[in-house]
Amino acid sequence: MSEMHELILDSTTKILKDICTKELVDKSEEGQWAGDLWEVLVESGITSIGVPESTGGTGGDFVDAFHILRLAGKYAVPLPLSETLIVNWLLAGYGVIPQEEPVTFELNSKLQLEKNDAGFLVNGALENVSWARNAKKILVLASLEEETFVTLLPLEDAYIENNNNLAGEPIDTVVFEDVMVNDIETYIVEENTLQEKVIDLGGLSKAAMMSGALDKVLELSVQYIKEREQFGRPLHKLQAIQQHIAVLSGETIAALTITNKAIDSYDKGTTDNEIAYAKLKVNESAGIVAEIAHQIHGAIGATHEHQLHHLTRRLWAWRDQFGNENFWAEKLAEKIMDSQSQTLWEMMTEEQMIETMQ
Amino acid sequence: MNKLDLPIIEFTDEQVKFRKEVRKFLEDARDSGTFESKCDSWLSGYDPEFSRKIGSQGWIGMTWPKKYGGSEQSAIERYIVIEELLAIGAPVAAHWFADRQTGPLFLRYGTEKQKEFFLPKITEGSCYFSLGMSEPNSGSDLASISTRAEKTDGGWILNGSKTWTSGAHHSHYMIVLCRTAPKDPKYRHGGMSQIIVDLTSPGVSIRPIKFLTGEKHFNEVFFENVFVSEENIVGTEGDGWKQNMQELAYERSGPERMLSTFPLLGELISVLRENNDKQGLKETMKLVARLNSFRLMSLGVAQYLEEGKDVSIAAALVKDLGTKFEKDIAETARLIISSVPSVHSRKQFEKYLAQSILHSPGFTLRGGTTEILRGIVSKGMIAE
Ligand SMILES: Cc1cc2nc3c(=O)[nH]c(=O)nc-3n(C[C@H](O)[C@H](O)[C@H](O)COP(=O)(O)OP(=O)(O)OC[C@H]3O[C@@H](n4cnc5c(N)ncnc54)[C@H](O)[C@@H]3O)c2cc1C
Repeated sequence: MSEMHELILDSTTKILKDICTKELVDKSEEGQWAGDLWEVLVESGITSIGVPESTGGTGGDFVDAFHILRLAGKYAVPLPLSETLIVNWLLAGYGVIPQEEPVTFELNSKLQLEKNDAGFLVNGALENVSWARNAKKILVLASLEEETFVTLLPLEDAYIENNNNLAGEPIDTVVFEDVMVNDIETYIVEENTLQEKVIDLGGLSKAAMMSGALDKVLELSVQYIKEREQFGRPLHKLQAIQQHIAVLSGETIAALTITNKAIDSYDKGTTDNEIAYAKLKVNESAGIVAEIAHQIHGAIGATHEHQLHHLTRRLWAWRDQFGNENFWAEKLAEKIMDSQSQTLWEMMTEEQMIETMQ
Repeated sequence: MNKLDLPIIEFTDEQVKFRKEVRKFLEDARDSGTFESKCDSWLSGYDPEFSRKIGSQGWIGMTWPKKYGGSEQSAIERYIVIEELLAIGAPVAAHWFADRQTGPLFLRYGTEKQKEFFLPKITEGSCYFSLGMSEPNSGSDLASISTRAEKTDGGWILNGSKTWTSGAHHSHYMIVLCRTAPKDPKYRHGGMSQIIVDLTSPGVSIRPIKFLTGEKHFNEVFFENVFVSEENIVGTEGDGWKQNMQELAYERSGPERMLSTFPLLGELISVLRENNDKQGLKETMKLVARLNSFRLMSLGVAQYLEEGKDVSIAAALVKDLGTKFEKDIAETARLIISSVPSVHSRKQFEKYLAQSILHSPGFTLRGGTTEILRGIVSKGMIAE
């Protein structure tokens, strides 16, 4: 946690509270780009947090960065913030100055490049690309002859077919068909290492954003049962409702705690299974919390008018992005299968010693 | 919502090393036949010899002052020892309540004389306490208890009865929550006190109530004109309720609220690995993710307790989630591996599974039922 941690979170909260209103999120879903909010995020350095100042970033550490994403989830920020941050973090490793325009990435499939006199011809299709229609550039894996590298390509000449996730966020198909680019910067990578890193970063980002959304759902639910009266008393006086709120609180605290641990270990460079545990647990909590919160809210909570769906639809969408429960459980299963000499208890308690990691 | 933000505990290298030493000691003890691993061993594993062994290692009353036999370690070191004892299913029932609850109670409220007399014996592993709260007509509604102590020359005369008292048939003393003033409907939580009752006193009779397995764990305890010396009141007369409630944060959030069936979970993983059962491991690792999360919560609460912070909501949530989880281990295990659970089975898995299923009803009752805990959480969340 950096010294400015509290300060950054306070100012981010203030920005989001003021600008990222329900109306803004609604408009975004209708197709309007939240450009003003993006500008404010860029100006306040939020889009390059976690990129060292020496590389042109805001500085700060990953604890700061993932806690900002938690806030982004809490306020349902309708922008490719996590996508841009991830691109900026990946490229910072190559000394690249952070992007200020919105960008996105898709690193599971590979594009084909062909060199000609004028530059490069790009071919290939990418599916489920978050925010492609609004992003200016996309970080992709590409191969040219025998070589595989990552490169940041402009999106202006790509064909984009719109698609939306459950929360109405763009998850578009991007097709490059003989698209000419004159000049590209390429960064050599080991494909598997990169993909592992991306799934970790994506999983942790989503876990952080979902923690924020869970936090907000609980807040809305507590507020609602204090205000809404039936049978002549506020709902919170009813035992069945009290039981619901306790379950909501339990799932929320479990998700927050395990995500905080994963963030902590990522920041320290000691991540082992923490991200897997976190995304798995947060996904599980998301389903339980969304169901109960809607039950508590009655019919009003199921209307477009009410704010609840901005959060519950995000929880439903995000739990399937960057690994559902089975995906992470399988990873963990392989891990424990491969470490036959370790008992479960050893695996759970033998934390990486920090000295040996560095 | 900051009521739910807990600190993240990181073990130091020294603590990791310490954990390994504790584990080695316990594995050696188990392998040499000193004890047999069991699920729910903190309730059902009674073994005074083992308790004394643990005591001589300095692992009872670890955080207490040295002058009372403690070793002045942090709550985290204690946490490590407790976790290791539970994970291996060691028989710790004899000294359990004295270490977890009674010692800290004395340190907080006891007289110098009480501390000097009881604490060193507890740390040796040779002085056992049980907790006399529930009564036949007072379970969840504990404030309605009617066991009462009346003033007499030099002390009190105790009458009434307690029930479900774990380990009373093996204990030397009981901390009895009783009335020292008549019931006042306007102030339900007033007029109660905590007193120390020597269970060998004339007028005390203890009758084990068989658990559903036929084993003896808990008891009915009757007090008939039992004389209790005035030195044996703990803390302030009339403050018993408040003192008792403070103990509960310790009682609710410890590792025993999620590890009672851990031996089964560990065995499940071993069997699945032997069987090369990837699908089974996948389902099991979902449980492990939950356990990790609850464990981090419990550690965070332990840290806040040591710092003197109010953690009643988080502590109640640890117990609510953790005890349900203890049951879920058994339910998941039995579906992943078809077996015939039996406490007499030669297969370790079937044995642990049988123990876990048969003991499971108690998990979400003892120490405050799930429903009561959820009421506490809800009220806490509603409060500004
Ligand atoms: C294995 C085991 C060991 C124990 N050891 C001890 C011990 O050492 N010392 C000791 O003092 N006690 C001990 N107990 C007793 C335990 O604390 C009580 O069982 C518990 O407090 C519940 O009381 P009860 O059993 O009388 O159930 P009741 O209070 O009668 O409850 C029955 C059901 O009604 C529900 N209920 C009750 N009131 C409410 C309410 N207001 N709102 C919603 N639901 C409600 C309960 O949740 C429960 O589901 C032990 C119990 C067990 C199972």
